[in-house]
Amino acid sequence: MKARILDRTDVLKVVDLLQARGYEVIAPFRGRGRDTYFDTVTSQNRDQIQIHFPNPYYPPKRYVFPHIERLMKFKRNNGNLQIEPACEQPKRAIFGIRSCDIAGIYHLDRFYLGRDFRDVYYENHRKNLFLVNVVCSDCEQDIGQECFCVCTDTGPAARDHFDLQLMDLGDEFMAVAGTPAGEALFADSIFLKGTEAHVAKRRTILDQCRRRFKKDTTSWFSATVRYVTRGEILEKTWEEIGNRCLECGGCTYVCPACTCFTVSDRPIGPNEVERVRVWDACALGGFTRMAGGFNPRRAVHDRRNRRFFRKLAHYFIQRELSMACVGCGRCAAVCHGDIGMPSVVETIRRATAEVDEHEHASH
Amino acid sequence: MPHRLTTCTFCGVGCGIYLETAGNQVIGAYPSVSHPTNAGRICLRGWHGHEVASSPDRLKTPLIKKDGKFQEATWGEAFDLIARRLREIRERHGPHALAFLNSPRCSNEEAYLLQKFARAVIGTNNVHHGTGVYCNNSINVLMEMLGVPAASNSISELAASDVILIDGVDLARRMPTLGGVVLRAKLGGARLIVVGTRRHRLADNADLFLQIKPNTETTLYGAMAKVIVDRGLENLPFIKARCREHETFVSQIHQYPLLDAADACGVTPALIEDAALTFARAKSAAVLYSTSMEERTRDSVRAVVNLVLLTGNLGKRGAGLFALAEQNNLQGVCDMGMLPDRLPGYAPVTDEKARAELEKIWHSSVPAAPGKGARTILANSGSSGVKALWLCRYDPVSASMFEAANCLSQFEFVVAQHLFMTETAQYAHVILPTTAYGEECVSFTNTERRIQLAEQVVEPPEGLTPAWEQISTVAQRMGFAWSHASASDVMDEIREAVPFYSGASHENLAREYGRQWPCTKDRPLGTAYLFASDNGNKPFKFVAVTKPETPTPAPKDFPFTLVCGSSLYYWNQNVLIRHSETLRREYSILLTDYPEGFVEIHPDDAKELQIRDGSKVRLHSETAFAVSTARVTAEVRTGTIFVPYFERELEKRFLGSGRAGAVLVPVRVERETA
Repeated sequence: MKARILDRTDVLKVVDLLQARGYEVIAPFRGRGRDTYFDTVTSQNRDQIQIHFPNPYYPPKRYVFPHIERLMKFKRNNGNLQIEPACEQPKRAIFGIRSCDIAGIYHLDRFYLGRDFRDVYYENHRKNLFLVNVVCSDCEQDIGQECFCVCTDTGPAARDHFDLQLMDLGDEFMAVAGTPAGEALFADSIFLKGTEAHVAKRRTILDQCRRRFKKDTTSWFSATVRYVTRGEILEKTWEEIGNRCLECGGCTYVCPACTCFTVSDRPIGPNEVERVRVWDACALGGFTRMAGGFNPRRAVHDRRNRRFFRKLAHYFIQRELSMACVGCGRCAAVCHGDIGMPSVVETIRRATAEVDEHEHASH
Repeated sequence: MPHRLTTCTFCGVGCGIYLETAGNQVIGAYPSVSHPTNAGRICLRGWHGHEVASSPDRLKTPLIKKDGKFQEATWGEAFDLIARRLREIRERHGPHALAFLNSPRCSNEEAYLLQKFARAVIGTNNVHHGTGVYCNNSINVLMEMLGVPAASNSISELAASDVILIDGVDLARRMPTLGGVVLRAKLGGARLIVVGTRRHRLADNADLFLQIKPNTETTLYGAMAKVIVDRGLENLPFIKARCREHETFVSQIHQYPLLDAADACGVTPALIEDAALTFARAKSAAVLYSTSMEERTRDSVRAVVNLVLLTGNLGKRGAGLFALAEQNNLQGVCDMGMLPDRLPGYAPVTDEKARAELEKIWHSSVPAAPGKGARTILANSGSSGVKALWLCRYDPVSASMFEAANCLSQFEFVVAQHLFMTETAQYAHVILPTTAYGEECVSFTNTERRIQLAEQVVEPPEGLTPAWEQISTVAQRMGFAWSHASASDVMDEIREAVPFYSGASHENLAREYGRQWPCTKDRPLGTAYLFASDNGNKPFKFVAVTKPETPTPAPKDFPFTLVCGSSLYYWNQNVLIRHSETLRREYSILLTDYPEGFVEIHPDDAKELQIRDGSKVRLHSETAFAVSTARVTAEVRTGTIFVPYFERELEKRFLGSGRAGAVLVPVRVERETA
């Protein structure tokens, strides 16, 4: 990978460069209070683009997998049925996407494009997507209470799957190209040659950042993968977890790596129907309910553990060669009952410790 | 794709959410992390509500019924017809032959103008919001005992509560984000007491779950109060400084001996005692109950308030009484005076001084006789004397409220303002289609008194106008010079009419996350919790509650108690739910699982009677008989049969049509063998 240096004052020129190449550029902005969101850059808002900010809650995955999306349109016309597919291929760049969300999009790639069946709608969104990763190097702003990318090995600096990576070194930014498309930008005069000192500085800053993560709960993450894979977690523990689920679906919607959707047809006018796909969530009763009425996961805790099997069981990790949890911590914040990934890992650790104590005592 | 912070309009929690739009379409929704009420969390309805706005079923032109069929009309024709017919009916039958009902989902601006129209233009107090008597019971009790009919504290303060007591309401289903706040408080160390006949998600998480027999709350709280008094755990400094009639209250407390109460309520004495001591020893304890519970009598609400006064849980952070207004603007429409006996700001219509104040603002006289409520108007086969009805976003027919369908067909003239051709709108003579959530900027008041703006994020379909503007237009056609140019102008008038809204200009509301009333000119930032101080004249009043008669033991032949639920599953019929893809699926599961309806029975009872989930059961009372399908669920208490609200036929058979809230019917249950 090639690296360059650019001056702090030039960093938003990367946005201009992409716009000049015909990209619709998406970047992070601030809402009220601590709220942040990704939005399209225009000449009016360009100077409000944020470099250091709490990661937007509503994940950028919706640029490849929209919350609600038309798949096709049917129209009845003189007894004939006209079918009009939706096949836009937007040329988009996301500037300022975090390392965890880069891993999220990579996971979606593996799921939607990496196996026998390629999802054409996903592919249309993904084909011309350019990703500018900004490393989480400001411990106060960028790294939240719930972040655990050090445990999922997805951050604070992504190692791959971006086109361009920017990292704040103080007065300058280091730019790393991850793809030929990213490297092509280096032809512009804002990119300068770096030195060994820059590389050393990058290492020092990242080292400091890694120390900022909470150590207690999520350090048990890989052990949890093992326990879930072996099916060693007691029903009682899943019930305890499931009892705290209020079935809102929020964890799925904010998850950068969740892939589930449902498909529905709805009338949009006289003799006209559109087929849409909408984000769906395994927490919901209607998600696993069969057409005949049988629901294999009728109890809430049976639905809830499904989420953690899907994310942590080795079978799925092997199938996609990528894990469906990227350590962004959004599920911890969005959950009414505090059963996001970090606290589920903690609950499993505690339950296991109790079993151990019990066994110890009985010997 | 702009993002705009707005207020979710499904339930009374009033979560702060962002809507993302592309072109004129809402394409996404997500919670605000910074909003003090929901702090980054919303429920299923919030996540999917945005699927509604683009529904193709929206009405786009006014409709006038001619020869039993709706025909498209111009706005001018529709407004002229309404003005003419209202005038005619008033001339022929007097002003009290007209009535105005709205949905508790209406905005403050709509509610205010509708009641003003009734009172100032027509001259009647026949105004009411659609949730009926239950909410009014709560308002009247709170006015009597505390002087303010609203939740005393803020939702975010629950994180600081020592003890939280939930009375009856299934928060996880009905106000999920509030349920989540309680759950997180419990996980953070608060003790959770749940009282009610049904086991629900929060009951499963409770430290103490008192699964009482139906309608025994009054006895339970009486017994808890007695335990507190007997142990000397009353907060005497608070009581001495701020409460009246304490002695009267204490002198009747002997009516509630612990053992008798335990017997009546069907829980152990130890559990009642534990609940009383936990509650009384808390540094700050909060009580949450729903104002929409049909079966709740005034006395059972009084018993709750007495408990709060006894322990001094008012006027401090983390404590308080949360009278939950479940619908998104139930609090607001009541504040705006959509009540037959109270003016905007809750002064009784009989209060001459309050009427005079309004008359100055309205330049019109205000009638002094209390009006008729929704139940009177929409039941009794239309014998209330009301001939014409105006319904603002109100759909009592789909909600199976009262006998709405039967009554509506008998009115001479019905105006309906709605987004869709609802089952109720079918009965209208004129339908005025109106704007939806996100298509206009109006205000709503949530259950913690937070007045918030719901912003405009998209343009309404061409030609559609806000409901408040339509009311204003008809007023103009009836000769009144109403001149509100925007919802913000309407709010400016509300600020004059409702003293505790006087600081709530739209500009002020837009600054942070709304303002909690009282939001006055002197306190423009609003009030997080009420009663922080008072002027020393003892604002609170105990009310002694006579012990309910011990119910006669169930006759041997009829060992079960039939309980008719008011609104547990009411979301199914909500018009917004029905127009959202995911929500429609989720909320119709029960009905697709049990297509012919159901009654609920506990697994233990079912086992004994050899009844399986989904099998047919026969219900017998002394006078009635019915066959239904059993839904076997541990949510109900043993010994009870729960009838959901949509089983109106069954309910009618057992209770009769003139049903009074709290009737319990002894029944026998048998397996249908045929």
